[in-house]
Amino acid sequence: MKNKIKIFRAMHNLTQEDLARAISVNRQTILAIEKEKYIPSLDLAFKISRYFGVNIEEVFIFDEKTPTIAHE
Amino acid sequence: MKKNTFYLIFGCIALALLVIFWYSVEIHTPLLIEIAFIIGIVLVYLAKRKVTDSIEDERDVKITEQATIRTMQIFWVVFCAFSIGAVMETLRIPAFPRQSPGMRPADILPPRMMGYIQLGLLCLMIFLYVGFRIYYAKKYGDFETDEE
Repeated sequence: MKNKIKIFRAMHNLTQEDLARAISVNRQTILAIEKEKYIPSLDLAFKISRYFGVNIEEVFIFDEKTPTIAHE
Repeated sequence: MKKNTFYLIFGCIALALLVIFWYSVEIHTPLLIEIAFIIGIVLVYLAKRKVTDSIEDERDVKITEQATIRTMQIFWVVFCAFSIGAVMETLRIPAFPRQSPGMRPADILPPRMMGYIQLGLLCLMIFLYVGFRIYYAKKYGDFETDEE
């Protein structure tokens, strides 16, 4: 799971600490997500994208080739 | 309450428990340290709830959860394997072929030794948990360096 949190943070001029405080997590969690060491829960992913005012798909990119119902 | 205040309180409780432990050894009253230990743990939990500058988020919960699961997976096998042997030893299940009633097999593990080994296994669980916690903390990016 890739993400663009760092880009969005830069666009909004936010530090990891600012974002962490805004969504009630530790700064280390934001760092771990940015470095793709930790995949956030759906709840946290929504919180982050809502905070930036965008859809979840714009922040998080699911890059695995998963079969979809349309191809079956 | 600040996190550092909590650590200070935790240290004081640990020190008090150590003193009570030695005192209960002196007066040969194990009940004293047992009750003090329970009260100490309750006080630590109460103090922890008052900490305001620390957030336990989902990543922390996941690290704790994974470390606990792995510890239990190893621990229960080791502990049960030893305990089954200890129970057999205590019940003196006779060997095959059956020995004459007058003869008792030699004590491999006396009951006191079993207690010490079980205590050692409990200590092993603590070390296992700490080890797994460090491993999962590293896996989920706890020791990542900051670029900011």
